[in-house]
Amino acid sequence: MVVRPYVEELKYLEKINDHCWRIKKGFQPNMNVEGVFYVNSRLEKLMLEELKNSCRPGAVGGFLPGVKQIANVAALPGIVGRSIGLPDIHSGYGFAIGNMAAFDMDDPLSVVSPGGVGFDINCGVRLLRTNLYEKDVQPVKEQLAQSLFDHIPVGVGSKGIIPMNARDLEEALEMGMDWSLREGYVWAEDKEHCEEYGRMLSADPAKVSMRAKKRGLPQLGTLGAGNHYAEIQVVDEIYDKWSASKMGIEEKGQVVVMIHSGSRGFGHQVATDALVQMEKAMKRDKIETNDRQLACARINSVEGQDYLKAMAAAANFAWVNRSSMTFLTRQAFAKMFNTTPDDLDMHVIYDVSHNIAKVENHIVDGRERKLLVHRKGSTRAFPPHHPLIPVDYQLTGQPVLVGGTMGTCSYVLTGTERGMQETFGSTCHGAGRALSRAKSRRNLDYKEVLDKLEQIGIAIRVASPKLVMEEAPEAYKDVTDVVDTCHAAGISKKCIKMRPIAVIKG
Amino acid sequence: MLKLKLEALGHPTPSDVALSNRKEFASTVLWLEDQKIRLYTIEDREKLRSLDNMQIWEEGYKKYCIDLKMPPYDTQLEQLTWMVGHAMRLEFLDDPSQYKVINGQDPNLTKNNGAQSQQKIQTIFDGKINVHDKEFIAGVRALATKLNVPHHPNHLLQLEAIARIVHERIGPAAKHRKAITGTPFPFDKGNDVVSANDPMLDYPMRILRLLQIQSLRQLQTQINETIVSVQTLTANPKTDTKLGKVGR
Repeated sequence: MVVRPYVEELKYLEKINDHCWRIKKGFQPNMNVEGVFYVNSRLEKLMLEELKNSCRPGAVGGFLPGVKQIANVAALPGIVGRSIGLPDIHSGYGFAIGNMAAFDMDDPLSVVSPGGVGFDINCGVRLLRTNLYEKDVQPVKEQLAQSLFDHIPVGVGSKGIIPMNARDLEEALEMGMDWSLREGYVWAEDKEHCEEYGRMLSADPAKVSMRAKKRGLPQLGTLGAGNHYAEIQVVDEIYDKWSASKMGIEEKGQVVVMIHSGSRGFGHQVATDALVQMEKAMKRDKIETNDRQLACARINSVEGQDYLKAMAAAANFAWVNRSSMTFLTRQAFAKMFNTTPDDLDMHVIYDVSHNIAKVENHIVDGRERKLLVHRKGSTRAFPPHHPLIPVDYQLTGQPVLVGGTMGTCSYVLTGTERGMQETFGSTCHGAGRALSRAKSRRNLDYKEVLDKLEQIGIAIRVASPKLVMEEAPEAYKDVTDVVDTCHAAGISKKCIKMRPIAVIKG
Repeated sequence: MLKLKLEALGHPTPSDVALSNRKEFASTVLWLEDQKIRLYTIEDREKLRSLDNMQIWEEGYKKYCIDLKMPPYDTQLEQLTWMVGHAMRLEFLDDPSQYKVINGQDPNLTKNNGAQSQQKIQTIFDGKINVHDKEFIAGVRALATKLNVPHHPNHLLQLEAIARIVHERIGPAAKHRKAITGTPFPFDKGNDVVSANDPMLDYPMRILRLLQIQSLRQLQTQINETIVSVQTLTANPKTDTKLGKVGR
């Protein structure tokens, strides 16, 4: 890594407009394309401060600052357009979380990198609507939270309540949500309102290690720990009435359920296995990167293809996982209100993936090209009339579900034409960390965090209270800042804001 | 479209023809007759000329429509569209050779289109009916008039349009369909940009897109229905709370 004083570093950064900065070539060695990041004035400060801290003499350890990571990604072979940082960006393994990058599939040197997908493959958010209003739920929210907590196992080492054997798992890995459909856990309409229709056809369970399968089997249908949660939320604000009504959200106060989860230990193992393989491939094919964490392999190499197939299987795992939790949530609500999920109109509004690599067609330099789009901590946000979004959202643009931090608020955005042109149809995914996990553990007290939530009237159930401070709102950037930046930059459009009234957490 | 046609015919103010105004309409009709159609002799146009006395004009217009053999249209727009089309045809027939060099960018496309629908309809009728029979064509035309289907030179395309209207509006399925509830949304106010500075393109594009979305929706509903019917055979969701374990 190039070490330069902070003032020198700043020369490579240029503010294009109020919400966008350019990272010029030369900021890191061998950059093939420029970098760019979206921030508002407050997020900008966090971003630059991080860079400044890393420039201090003697600063070692930890992750590289986000800006540096964007630039390192821009140096990967085969990257097209720009390496893009979304407003919620923060340092991660190799790629920053909130970094998206696209690679030309027709360039034989192009690479795929597990670091560009993340360890929690197909981590994503699903939003269910109901026809209940706050007044219906407020009196029973404690019981409802408990009921959800009983139905959806959470926390490190939790085990699911949907019986599955090894054969079921193989089938689920191959079929994704089609497996949940076949077994009757979800509705046909759920599939329709899911990215990729809940199934990646390229999945090949044979490319997944036994170890990953062993880890994954008991965990299916569990929420997990970390930043994952299930929240009962109420609609707090509607910015775009028409698009909201297309999603079945009619008025303020309407109750929705948000599920944020991924592929659990399964995805983690797939990523770990791939990293080992790729290091070998890099040596063989003489692929040079700026950062050892950016392990990658050519898309067309055996390792690259194996990873993509295993990643697709992990993605399918995550969809089955969220589908199983959808089923359990519907059961919990139906029991509580003594009716059926149908009568509660508990439809899936949408299901997004924010840790994934996908093959997509985009217009680059006036020509349509087939790209491998890595989105790590970044949500796909396709504009109206894009063929890959459900027919119900053809006029509104794809719904983008942005989960906030525990106890703050969440948003639904819609995709825009501008986002398609500027960011390969991508936008933010959440709040984005401001403090590292370790730092938040040191600085915050879990009792205080829980008390605070109770004070603002949020029912909370946690499996591991001592880990709660890692997820405290203080540890994160302000999701409203993040969303407002995306809206102002035009890469997605604000539609609905929700606030939580009950939280289930790992 | 009407504007373009009037422009082609050389109307002095094609974009200012306000159809909501009966008098404006009357003067446009008069202009068409005077300049282009010339069905009557100049003396016979007396009634159509009396724009100051609309009562007399209406009388004359009624007769004029019959003499012109115009199909019975309800709205001014339809009537005017037909008359303009008629005028264009006459204009063309005056000297067809003049237009010989002008042709569509891809004339094969329209031919194919016709051939396709012809084949489709032939299969439906199992080849038992000659779809080019005069009686058949007359029947299609009569049906089209009855259902207000706009004219198309290829009667088979017109027949397809008729079939669609029958299916969607008149058939038994359509009759039993529940009325759509909810607040309608003006279709030109979505998030999607079509062509903001060209209303001529914007309007029909939006309509075409809505039709496309409608047919996609039908397809998706069929898919969902198929999935549900398979689910009745395969679905057996189970839970076993004994397996559950909440982590630390």
